[in-house]
Amino acid sequence: MMQPVNLMVNGTPYELLVHPSRSLLQVLRDDLHLTGTKEGCGTGYCGACTVLVEDAAVNACLYFAVDADHRHVRTIEAMRAPDGSPQALPAAFIECSGLQCGYCTPGMIMSAAALLASDPSPAEDDVRSALSGNICRCTGYQSIVASVMLAAARMAQHERQTQPEPSPRSRSRA
Amino acid sequence: MSAIIGTARTRADAAAKATGQAVYTADLAFERAASGVVLRSPHPFARIRAIDVARAQGMPGVVAVVFSGNTPRKPFDFSIKDQHLFPQEYVRYKGEPVAAVAAETEAQAHAAAAAIDVKYEALEPVMTIDDALRDGAQLVHPRWKAYEKSATRFMRGNVCGRNRIRRGDVEKAFERAHVVIDSSFELSHGIPGYVEPRSAAARKEPDGGLTVWCGSQSPYGNREELAEFFDLDVERVRFVNQFVGGAFGGKILMAVEWFVAALALNCERTVRMIWSRHEDGLHVFPRHGGRASFRTGAAQDGTLLGMRASFAFDTGAYLGYGSGTALIATMLASAPYRIPALDLEAKLVYTHKQVAGPVRAPGGPEATYCKELHIDEVARALSVDPLELRLKNAWVDGDESPTGQKLTSVSARETLQKSAAAIGWGEKLPPNRGRGLSCSWWFSSCGRSEAKVEVRSDGSVHVVSGNPEIGTGSAAGALPILVADHLGIDPSQVRLTLADTATRTYDGGVHGSTATFSAGQAVEAAALDVRRQLLASAEESLEARVDDIELSGGFARVRGFPDHAVAFANLAEAAGGTITGEGGAREIEDPEFDPELVQSHDFAAWMAPSFTTSAAEVDVDPQTGCVKVLKIVTAQDAGFAINPTGVVGQIEGGAVQGLGYGLTEELQFDESGIVNTGLKDYLLPTAVDAPAIEAIIVESPSSEGPHGMKGVGEPPVTTPAGAIGNAIRDAVGAVPHKTPMTPERVWRAINAI
Ligand code: FES
Ligand code: FES
Repeated sequence: MMQPVNLMVNGTPYELLVHPSRSLLQVLRDDLHLTGTKEGCGTGYCGACTVLVEDAAVNACLYFAVDADHRHVRTIEAMRAPDGSPQALPAAFIECSGLQCGYCTPGMIMSAAALLASDPSPAEDDVRSALSGNICRCTGYQSIVASVMLAAARMAQHERQTQPEPSPRSRSRA
Repeated sequence: MSAIIGTARTRADAAAKATGQAVYTADLAFERAASGVVLRSPHPFARIRAIDVARAQGMPGVVAVVFSGNTPRKPFDFSIKDQHLFPQEYVRYKGEPVAAVAAETEAQAHAAAAAIDVKYEALEPVMTIDDALRDGAQLVHPRWKAYEKSATRFMRGNVCGRNRIRRGDVEKAFERAHVVIDSSFELSHGIPGYVEPRSAAARKEPDGGLTVWCGSQSPYGNREELAEFFDLDVERVRFVNQFVGGAFGGKILMAVEWFVAALALNCERTVRMIWSRHEDGLHVFPRHGGRASFRTGAAQDGTLLGMRASFAFDTGAYLGYGSGTALIATMLASAPYRIPALDLEAKLVYTHKQVAGPVRAPGGPEATYCKELHIDEVARALSVDPLELRLKNAWVDGDESPTGQKLTSVSARETLQKSAAAIGWGEKLPPNRGRGLSCSWWFSSCGRSEAKVEVRSDGSVHVVSGNPEIGTGSAAGALPILVADHLGIDPSQVRLTLADTATRTYDGGVHGSTATFSAGQAVEAAALDVRRQLLASAEESLEARVDDIELSGGFARVRGFPDHAVAFANLAEAAGGTITGEGGAREIEDPEFDPELVQSHDFAAWMAPSFTTSAAEVDVDPQTGCVKVLKIVTAQDAGFAINPTGVVGQIEGGAVQGLGYGLTEELQFDESGIVNTGLKDYLLPTAVDAPAIEAIIVESPSSEGPHGMKGVGEPPVTTPAGAIGNAIRDAVGAVPHKTPMTPERVWRAINAI
């Protein structure tokens, strides 16, 4: 009893036939061979499988693939620029040594991406709460929090440089 | 020389890991691999009356079924041969494997496993140390007398090990003492907590060999063990390690590798197994739980005079890594303090629990938590400041270890002073806030390790070591730094080959804080060998003397004439394509100790000892017993930090693992066996639980380690729980003597109920 599903993953459309019991994680890893997203527990307690569905961080192990029908899914594989270089978040994890074994890292980065999409300049405590569903056994979290703070600062700076100050008039209109 | 060694660098695998490119075992794609599953005992203790696999063998899609009837029956294990691949007569813990099945699909494999008919006669299990030691207790191993074991191993009934350190006369010391303090403790079992559950794949090769893909902490050691067990030519067995999603000692002993190998040897397919968290939890090698009691006598001025300590560790159904834990615990029980009279003992007890293993610093957090809480109790009884008491008694250069080893490069006092200063020791705190200290020592170990460094004709530099990269950065962090330094290139230009036994660069694996210590030496020797060859070949092409040539930026250049240069690529080409340097770790003799002071103790001499102090500040809610750790400072003696970023990473990660050990982590067992195999009710610390961490690197060089380094992989996890415990008592005047110190236990301690 397969069901047709239209997924948009990292900008690429997929038309799939999926059994309704299959998780988004299984479909991403086994069917689409996007193995950057990891399974650590399969029960929603480690966050290693975190991906974005329409900008919200979800545990792909608990999310039915059929529920992602006609939605945009983003995974760690999307966190590279077209030339292959890492985007701001992974770049900051590299720079701040926000990883050791690296197994939690894709999920951490996607949780952080969801946070920065809704709150571009979070306080350290906000970062910690946003990542509280992602277990890291290696780092003690400090370098991960530092990575996210650095990425946020860089992205904010980039934003300032690329978007001209709004004019007084537009401000008053708003 | 060094411009690079000892400076902060990005690890070689960081970019791959941060962008989802790094490949772990479960990410591998295999053509037409069969799926394997393990059938496990539902009982903690039962006699196996019969196993019938006939029906399962005929089920759709099944390609192999293995069980005690068609696999080697030889026992294996450490110093007692008490364990079989599949149990012959009794199952001894819930989750013990009794058979394994490979089939076309995982669903078919599960269906076939369910069709294996195992007739069990359930028996009353022994689930606690008390039950195991009771007169007339059920024996976990009814036939223990017949087991093959090493000569020094003590064994009697449910006791499968006992070791002791004794010096001076403790009773006399207690008589002379101004105070004699008793403390006793209970310790929980804990999991390693790696986020990547274990997985592996195996395939029989046409030459009669076997290839195993896995994420092991010890691929060369595991290969030998597997080859011996299945009677294979070890040279034809290949272990191909992938990136490892954390290990912490949990991936030293083979687990999933046994079963994919057994199945692959019985069919013509690649067999793979990806364990779920639950299955990984059933087959976990936990940290030892147990109990301890301490008695210490001290003079009025705080001088420690004598200590008696005794540990009983619950090692589970089989010996596992029990010996190591027990030996280490006795070495830690009184350290790093100068105590003239000692009687330190540890024993190991069988129960029907999971087999305890070598979790990061086995025995370390266990013994240190008890000892450091106890030392604070001595200080309190004397009204001496706990820092002062520790400083007064801490070893200095020239002191002897408990076993009579002469100590050098002792940094116990320095780590105490630095961490106390950083936590604001002695400054006033608001109510219900407290600070605590905890100090300990640890060892490095040096094992066999070989490495190659290659310069290829495209100018690329490769380091090939058998040292598995398990996340610590021993391979990806430290080794490129050592190579880069000698070849005058940036560490980011050094390419890393993950451990693969086909490269024939043996390495003893990552355990015992040995990785950088041993593999670092091997790689450095290989780098020097390549350097020598590059210089010799450049001498010819540049027509200059070796002394006038320097290596920089991928070129050999004549000093003072940077344009008079030849590229590594050209030198490699001239040499026929690749210049290969080889190197090995040198053998280092163990330090001397006094054999008169020990009984059944084969780990009495510690190489390149390091010292660690953690200081914690906590806030306790006396109404609820909830503890918030505000800060942990850990001062860690690294000897010399080859890769400071890596050292800080070990300290920070260790701080939070130590916090988990102290406050939240507890494997639970009841009469039906293990209870919490998942992460729902086994609480690993999250980013919200983790405090601010200050890592202080102390460098008191060892004479044995490369560049004076000491291993730091394990020790930072040993001290935090004790510091947190002492801080809780400082805050509210009471502390549970039981890990983890949950809100309920803290509340009970405060209210003395
Ligand atoms: S794998 Fe999804 S939360 Fe752990
Ligand atoms: S880096 Fe290993 S779990 Fe986070």
